[in-house]
Amino acid sequence: MIRNINLWVTDGYISIPDGNSIYIWGYTDAAGKRAQVPGPRIVVNQGDVVNISITNTLPEATSVVFPGQSGVTADTGSGPQPAGPKYDGGGNLVSLTDFADYPGNPGGNPPTITYTFTAHRPGTFIYESGTNPHKQVQMGLYGAIIVRPSDYDPAVPAKKTAYGENTHTEFDREYLVVVSEIDPVLHQAVEQGKDYKIRDFLPRYWTMNGRSAPDTMNSDNAGYMPNQPYGAMIMAEPDEKVLIRYAGGGIENHPLHPHGNHTRIVALDGSLLKNGTEDLSYKKFTVLVGAGQTYDQVFTWSGLGYNPSNPIPTVMPNLRNLGVGDAGWTMWSGSPYLGEKGDVPVGVTSFNQVGEYHFMVHSHEEMQITNWGEFPGGMMTMIAIFPTGTLGDAGTIEGLG
Amino acid sequence: MATINKRFGATDGYIRVPGGSEIYIFGWVDLTGIPENEIFSYRGKAQLLGPLLEAKVGDEVYLTLTNLGMPVRPDLDDSHTIHWHGFPNQIPVWDGVPEASISVLVGRDFVYYYKPLAPGTYIYHCHFEPVEHIQMGMVGPLLVRPADYDPGNPAYKTAYGHGTGTEFDREYFIFLTELDTRAHQQIEAVQEYDWTDYKPDYWLNNGRSYPDTVEPSGALPYQPYSSLIRANSGDKVLLRFVNLGYQQHSIEILGVPLHVIGQDAQRPLGLNGENLSYRKNALYFAAGQTMDAIFTAPSAGTYPLFNRDYHKNVNAGTAPGGMVSEIQILAGSLPPQPGPGQ
Repeated sequence: MIRNINLWVTDGYISIPDGNSIYIWGYTDAAGKRAQVPGPRIVVNQGDVVNISITNTLPEATSVVFPGQSGVTADTGSGPQPAGPKYDGGGNLVSLTDFADYPGNPGGNPPTITYTFTAHRPGTFIYESGTNPHKQVQMGLYGAIIVRPSDYDPAVPAKKTAYGENTHTEFDREYLVVVSEIDPVLHQAVEQGKDYKIRDFLPRYWTMNGRSAPDTMNSDNAGYMPNQPYGAMIMAEPDEKVLIRYAGGGIENHPLHPHGNHTRIVALDGSLLKNGTEDLSYKKFTVLVGAGQTYDQVFTWSGLGYNPSNPIPTVMPNLRNLGVGDAGWTMWSGSPYLGEKGDVPVGVTSFNQVGEYHFMVHSHEEMQITNWGEFPGGMMTMIAIFPTGTLGDAGTIEGLG
Repeated sequence: MATINKRFGATDGYIRVPGGSEIYIFGWVDLTGIPENEIFSYRGKAQLLGPLLEAKVGDEVYLTLTNLGMPVRPDLDDSHTIHWHGFPNQIPVWDGVPEASISVLVGRDFVYYYKPLAPGTYIYHCHFEPVEHIQMGMVGPLLVRPADYDPGNPAYKTAYGHGTGTEFDREYFIFLTELDTRAHQQIEAVQEYDWTDYKPDYWLNNGRSYPDTVEPSGALPYQPYSSLIRANSGDKVLLRFVNLGYQQHSIEILGVPLHVIGQDAQRPLGLNGENLSYRKNALYFAAGQTMDAIFTAPSAGTYPLFNRDYHKNVNAGTAPGGMVSEIQILAGSLPPQPGPGQ
């Protein structure tokens, strides 16, 4: 199949839960829309020919690189050529790939460029700026590509996989978490056209899918975050196989730690951890998501079998003797049992819906789960385990393509 | 299968860094078996690291957390929790995340229950405002023995069970954290600290900086754990590495290759049981990871252990210091090890 995808490169603002508003550069899927972070998700099938056309409205040249894809071509209007690095007259690298230069004519037609590649192998990949990437990627010019295996069929459990039938990558639900960090001084300098030295890079915010906690836990397309359309809440039922796709969209490495259970790492950078028949997957409770890297992993929470007729072996104290929640809110149900609601003290708002359990997923570089020093925030979300039968149809990720 | 009853207090205190400075910390103190009317005399006596927790797969652990309050910061009425980092299939009431269950107020008790499901090297730490409470010192080592563990039988004295190739003669914790003394001083002085300015100036191995690291256990009143490693030539030595700092670290032992047999309390095993253990000279850790490695003690001598990030082997900028420790190999005169790290 041929997939024709149009992206515009422009600017916009994102919202941080401490009230800050950050100027960004980013991708969007329609002319005239503000940029979003991360860029629109691109979901294609193995074997597809993917044409991605970029229209640049930034005040400088930009380009897109597709790490993990081979045979990428670029067409600036004179036919497709192998995409390659660009050097200036002095032999200095100015772009990792062909770029759409800004014509110096904001009223005229902005320049476009079309990149084409065949999605040869399934997996989780990144697309990002290849021009001044130390600035442009940090400004928000990054996004994720999911390539489905050629035999993918979400209606057939054995074929609802990340890497194809018999690769042991079946999943019931899937989630994509693209992590990054933000130095607000850099963003302000770009907005105001001031000088900025990347050697001074000092992030104050950390993001999952472009949002900082607690916004990470809000739903997709939450109205007050128009340019951060993707939530990062992970939801599943007990015993389900949950495919979690991590992608490192920033310029730092982040150790992500899920509570509740280990994950089994099944693929790195879109390559299945297999060598012939030898399985090279392994379990971890903290994975270091490196800059530009992707991690596909399967998480399952089965629990310990407690319910009101098989009670926990400790006595829950009177809630008046406990701390419940953080500054007036909690995600706890008030009960130790899945699917049960208990009492929560007066004055504490419970965001718990049906007695689901919440397990934190967060960077273990703990300053990264603050918003400029204030906990809770940053690179943190929850895995919500809902009682069996309450979560509805298993979701899969959709995107452009 | 045994029932283990433990009681930990959460409070504050002071540790020592080389050069004589005292650093304000939050931390744990072991109250197990202390009569109720003496509990309050343990306020202000936090230790770094917290007491070693040890259990076998199948044991039942009842761990009472008592919040003793902060004598140096009576204004600070923070709650505390205990989070067993990496414990599989936990339920929220015992997972210690205040936003998703409960926390323990000053002057209150709460009983956590754990029935370990899998052997390995774990961590426990407070999860209340974790950026502050972990850096301030509310961390401790946790090891789970395999169900068939028998220290009297070499084939069953293993990290991951009989037949897993993880036999050992001696075992030691290498528990890595950092100290940003500006943060500790600000908190002692009732000031706010911007955690995104985090910049450590001491790097700790088992709660101490070199040369305190090689002092015997017991030499420092509130830093009970030495990181001096001793063995007889030919011994199999199990190192249980933990990184509970906020940085990544690269640990190397000059002249001693390491066989990595555990990562994050799991043997590295493929889906069909493929043994993915591997050999390394320098072990790289992200924050919140643990690793188990075994080496065969070489010929008698002293072998330095250090952070290959050389700038971290300092105390407030002065070398040598930081995470440096020593491995002393003897010809055969060392008696059997009575317990981890001893």
